[in-house]
Amino acid sequence: MNRFGLPDLGVGVGLRRPHYSHVITERPSVGWFEVIAENFIVDGGRPLQVLEQIRANYPVVLHGVSLSIGSTDPLNRQHLKNLARLAQRFEPAWVSDHLCWTGVGGHNLHDLLPLPYTDEAVFHVAGRIRQVQEALERPLLIENVSSYLTYADSAMTEWDFLSAIAEEANCGILLDINNIFVSAFNHRFSPTEYIESVPLDRVVQFHLAGHSDYGFYLLDTHDHPIRPEVWELYEYAVRRFGRVSTLIERDDNIPEFPELMIEANEAQRRAQDAASGQHALATS
Amino acid sequence: MRLEELQRLIYRLVVAPNGVGEGLTLEESLPDGGLEAVIIGDDRLSAEQRLDIYANAYFYRLLDVFKEDFPATLAVLGETDFHNLITGYLVEYPPAEPSVAHAGQHLADFIRQHPLQKRATFLADLATLERALIESFCASDMDPLDATAMHTIGPEEWPSLQMRLHPASQLLELDHTIEPLMRSVERGESWSYPPRKAETILVWRRDTQVFYRTVETLERDALLLTQTRASFASICALIAESCDKADPTVVINQLLSRWIADEIFVRSAA
Repeated sequence: MNRFGLPDLGVGVGLRRPHYSHVITERPSVGWFEVIAENFIVDGGRPLQVLEQIRANYPVVLHGVSLSIGSTDPLNRQHLKNLARLAQRFEPAWVSDHLCWTGVGGHNLHDLLPLPYTDEAVFHVAGRIRQVQEALERPLLIENVSSYLTYADSAMTEWDFLSAIAEEANCGILLDINNIFVSAFNHRFSPTEYIESVPLDRVVQFHLAGHSDYGFYLLDTHDHPIRPEVWELYEYAVRRFGRVSTLIERDDNIPEFPELMIEANEAQRRAQDAASGQHALATS
Repeated sequence: MRLEELQRLIYRLVVAPNGVGEGLTLEESLPDGGLEAVIIGDDRLSAEQRLDIYANAYFYRLLDVFKEDFPATLAVLGETDFHNLITGYLVEYPPAEPSVAHAGQHLADFIRQHPLQKRATFLADLATLERALIESFCASDMDPLDATAMHTIGPEEWPSLQMRLHPASQLLELDHTIEPLMRSVERGESWSYPPRKAETILVWRRDTQVFYRTVETLERDALLLTQTRASFASICALIAESCDKADPTVVINQLLSRWIADEIFVRSAA
């Protein structure tokens, strides 16, 4: 169990527009939905109506893409206020965003750029996370991003950077298993060492997704089914962390909802098997 | 390198319109050792190639958003011109809002000053309509003046009743008859250049669906009058004056029934 007392919601699916009607009318048997917060920070109309209907039947988690927690720009107070209002209205199980920066100088790249792994960045980001948690009045989960570059200034590993920030800010961690796999290939580190090094009691959620192989590098495209190597890493993570709320993500090339349910059921089965293996190991 | 300096450098290189390579040649604040002193390259990918991944992700993610938000503008221009249009637009109007939905809010203004507008003078009108449809989709919720609400209005209140457009309703004054072109593109049919002729289009949302239609001069004038906090009696008077040979009562009834059914109004506070 994580230190925040946040529950294991089982396996959930990222809510995407093509599935709105299906989810509302068919009410598929899925544990929970994660929604992209920015898609619902709107004045009105269909998005909010859809979220009302879905929230009435499922636990929901708000997942942000634009907090830009690592940017050296001042925190966007209006965005934070909007996010807090959304959280107040829909009472998500928790709120998460990415350990990255998405813009600077008042501009937004709408992409998740990595930070240099330095003490300066640790203290900068941790301070901002504390401000966000204060505004939201709840713990924030930060997610490790896929990355394609390493800064010359980096002075620690990515997992030490993530862990240091989580400790310094006293926040939770959303561990994206696919992102660990992608970055491990791109930067030639051991994905299992990463998983072994993250603090046990701060991991509240896992992400699972597909990626594309470009030969010299892997790209986190979220447009493929989850690859076998990522499934194996997921099982490894469950053996270390136990059962943790797990989300199936697909952002492009989005299939019919039942196809995602196959992956959700697969995650359920693998988590169960891996967790019972962990239990057997612990009691032997 | 300090974090802020690093982020500003990476930002400039990622958004460089002709790619990271050209951005590097123009960059004046690279440290000794060049980009390799900032980003570590290796036998698989150089520092520049690694940053290129982000530059491509930045542009193509936004291009996809614009293709989804402006499908008719894309259909009219074709892939290459649309790509070049968006390249220029992002230089002029780099996204600043947390939601990508705002990224295209200035596209029609940008097109008005763009050489492509000379080739296809209706382009800015088309982008204006497409943007209005997006804005209507997410506009504020307010109780519309619908049939149920109308029944609560007493006969003595009618003359002084004030209506205004619902936040999801917009009246667009365009220079071309855009509607037939939009309908053709939506149906996947071939389209023809619209004639240059002033056209007013009403965009509105009923329930959660967005609609649009051309309005004639009489209806346009009446709708514009509602925006001046005019009373229902004044609107009726305007319609009565403007009706040519038709019975004003019938015209008023027809317009009011349609406005109420389409839920384009809210009641103004007295």
